[in-house]
Amino acid sequence: MNETDIHSKLAGAVVSGVGALDESAKDPFVVVDPGSLVPAVTFLKNDADCRMEMLNCVTAVEREDCIEVVYHLSSVTHRHSLTLKTRVERPAGGTHESWIPEVPSVAALYASADWHEREQWDLLGVRFTDHPDHRRILLPEEWIGHPLRKDYVYPHEHGGMPLDLDAVPLYERDEATPSEPAAPRPSGTPLVQPPNPNSDRPDAGGVAPADSDGDLRSIKPGSNDGGGH
Amino acid sequence: MEALEMYTVDPNDDVYTEELKLNLGPQHPSTHGVLRVELKVDGEIITASRCDIGYLHRCAEKIGENVTYLQFTPYTDRMDYLASMNNNLAWSLTVEKLLGVEAPERAQWIRVIVAELNRIASHLIAFGTYGIDIGANTPFFYAFRERESIMALLERPSGARMLYNYVHPGGVAHDIEDGWLEDVLAFCDEFEMRWKEYNTLLSHNAIFIGRTANIGVIPKDMALDYGLTGPVLRASGVSWDLRRDVPYLAPYDDLEFDVPVGEGTHGTLGDCWDRYWVRMREMMESIRIIRQACPRVPAGPFMDKAMNRMYKTPLKPEPGEAYMRCENPRGELGFYVVAEGGTSPIRCRTRAPSFCNLSVLDALLPGTMIADGVAIIGSLDIVLGEVDR
Amino acid sequence: MGVLNNSLPDIGPVRAVDSAIGWGRKSSIWPMTFGIACCAIEMMAVYAATFDLDRFGAGVPRATPRQSDLIIVPGTVNAKMAVRVKRLYDQMSEPRYVIAMGACVCGGGPYVKWGYNTVKGVHKIIPVDIFVPGCPPRPEALMDGILKLREKVGRNQVFARQAQTAADMDGRYAAAK
Ligand code: SF4
Repeated sequence: MNETDIHSKLAGAVVSGVGALDESAKDPFVVVDPGSLVPAVTFLKNDADCRMEMLNCVTAVEREDCIEVVYHLSSVTHRHSLTLKTRVERPAGGTHESWIPEVPSVAALYASADWHEREQWDLLGVRFTDHPDHRRILLPEEWIGHPLRKDYVYPHEHGGMPLDLDAVPLYERDEATPSEPAAPRPSGTPLVQPPNPNSDRPDAGGVAPADSDGDLRSIKPGSNDGGGH
Repeated sequence: MEALEMYTVDPNDDVYTEELKLNLGPQHPSTHGVLRVELKVDGEIITASRCDIGYLHRCAEKIGENVTYLQFTPYTDRMDYLASMNNNLAWSLTVEKLLGVEAPERAQWIRVIVAELNRIASHLIAFGTYGIDIGANTPFFYAFRERESIMALLERPSGARMLYNYVHPGGVAHDIEDGWLEDVLAFCDEFEMRWKEYNTLLSHNAIFIGRTANIGVIPKDMALDYGLTGPVLRASGVSWDLRRDVPYLAPYDDLEFDVPVGEGTHGTLGDCWDRYWVRMREMMESIRIIRQACPRVPAGPFMDKAMNRMYKTPLKPEPGEAYMRCENPRGELGFYVVAEGGTSPIRCRTRAPSFCNLSVLDALLPGTMIADGVAIIGSLDIVLGEVDR
Repeated sequence: MGVLNNSLPDIGPVRAVDSAIGWGRKSSIWPMTFGIACCAIEMMAVYAATFDLDRFGAGVPRATPRQSDLIIVPGTVNAKMAVRVKRLYDQMSEPRYVIAMGACVCGGGPYVKWGYNTVKGVHKIIPVDIFVPGCPPRPEALMDGILKLREKVGRNQVFARQAQTAADMDGRYAAAK
């Protein structure tokens, strides 16, 4: 069957909420309402002519006015595939970060949806209702924000680990001020090079080269000596 | 769970077992990278498991939204770093689909050859490291010897040892030199001999079979439900190969090759040994493909003329979207790109085969021994760079 | 060697003992089995037959940080992994050495600009002895890094007194003048 046949079957079976097939697209797709998503996917999976055994991919896409969740389904038996989309409109005046759209989960139908949906929640902040295990998957559980949103602000530090290019290395920081103030970072902060105490160490008894004076001073007592004793 | 019942002791007895939480990874020699699995074990038996991934999350999708289409090619290298050519190929085909162009014929045949060479290299690593997981160190050294030959071959057209950045949208980055194809064919002859050696080393070894047969059985329905692809799916008896079923490169239609599927030779269909054996046979199929393809590489341009301008001005596809999938050594690699007219896409999604293949682990581990868990993880042949991206 | 560490005068016989110890140490560096990303595959290639790191006495990777002297950090370290890398380093016993392998751990590499959760160089987390740049570095480059590390290990002073702090060094510098 091609996409047109599948679409007509689907539109006949699921009473409402199945949009027209967009045939002009490179991969023809069907838009369904979030409310009819689960019945539509159930039909596509169980119908003998469709038999979409495999859910290849779940993708959330942030667009200007909506967030779109795209399902790529394919059938190994019949060797056809279909793209299914569902859209959640952005509420008027809704800011990006605080707006969490909700879409029903299909994890009960496809085990593969479990991890894919968790990933979309993690990276794009789409909540899948009735998901069995709705946690972040790639980023640490305490991460703030959803990085694939267009207005995501990059963090300077996470869990005590510096993420900036010009951050001061952990072992260089003063004990009194364990963590650097994260934001705002003054522009033009010099890039701090990691000192390497051992390699700069002059031979014992030898004469330190005169021009390395400044380097020697930069080694703080108590900073980690790479080894040797 | 049978094993568990066998070992469970009467609670009224004064010998009893207690549940223990065990952390496997992220630094563990047999997790193939930085996978972490939280296990609950009762003695030697795993009762529950939970995968924790993300230790190699490198923001590839965010990068894809910020760099141009051509600039993203090297980042695809770094997803599945054992099969860079195949990743480059999948990305290039996605961009080509978005633009509606097709690579010249010579480029297509070169692509087939480099992709199949890389498939062998990738399966060699799977073979070598699987031996280490099971406790046989020797195969690793043999596998790397042949892998080095492939590296040397692929280095000649691409200039890089591992992350090639060779297949570009519209063709390949450089033409192959004279004599390269002959050397590839010579390698094929040599490899055939070596392959027999591997089988005496590992495949038919009684201990190896004992460690892998009937372990980690994935039935057909479960495999489809979890969206497994590649050798893991085929080992469960599903004959599904995108090269044959959804041909994405024209030459694959003209080439003759079999799709090995699991047969349950040493036990149940879909066990670890089947997955291993499907990979081994796939190497030989790749050799077959390369042998047929080498004499047929036509003369002509290796890069689309019109696409050459992308090296100066970034590509700007029309608004639209494309989902393209390719058969990678690990399964179906899909790229879903949404363009809105700019020089970079607004969404660049990767459907990574390892990601899906790994998701079945939590269902496989409960009820097995810890040592078998290692055998199961190894047999899935995951690459964490691709799981986390 | 506890209390005797760097406590003896810096004279010929003591230095001879030191260099003997240094020779022993540098000839049997035990790296840790630790792979993160793409660079780890090149590191494996260095251990394997073609390049054979065992020629330099560093070819026996240990599975635990407590038995190893060297941690090669091969691959991108992100926020989640950085905590682990630091813990692994803390678990190693002195003397311990760090090789940063690859552009990612030398300063962010390809992920420096848009990587929202990558650490831009492992030297932000743990002190690094040798940087081996490249993406990935060729096996020869890593081997060169290990040879450089051998030199450095051989130079270390165990018993002989050495300048440890900036103040000591300043004193010595002034005396030399
Ligand atoms: S430096 Fe390059 S090869 Fe090494 S881990 Fe980073 S991206 Fe991978």
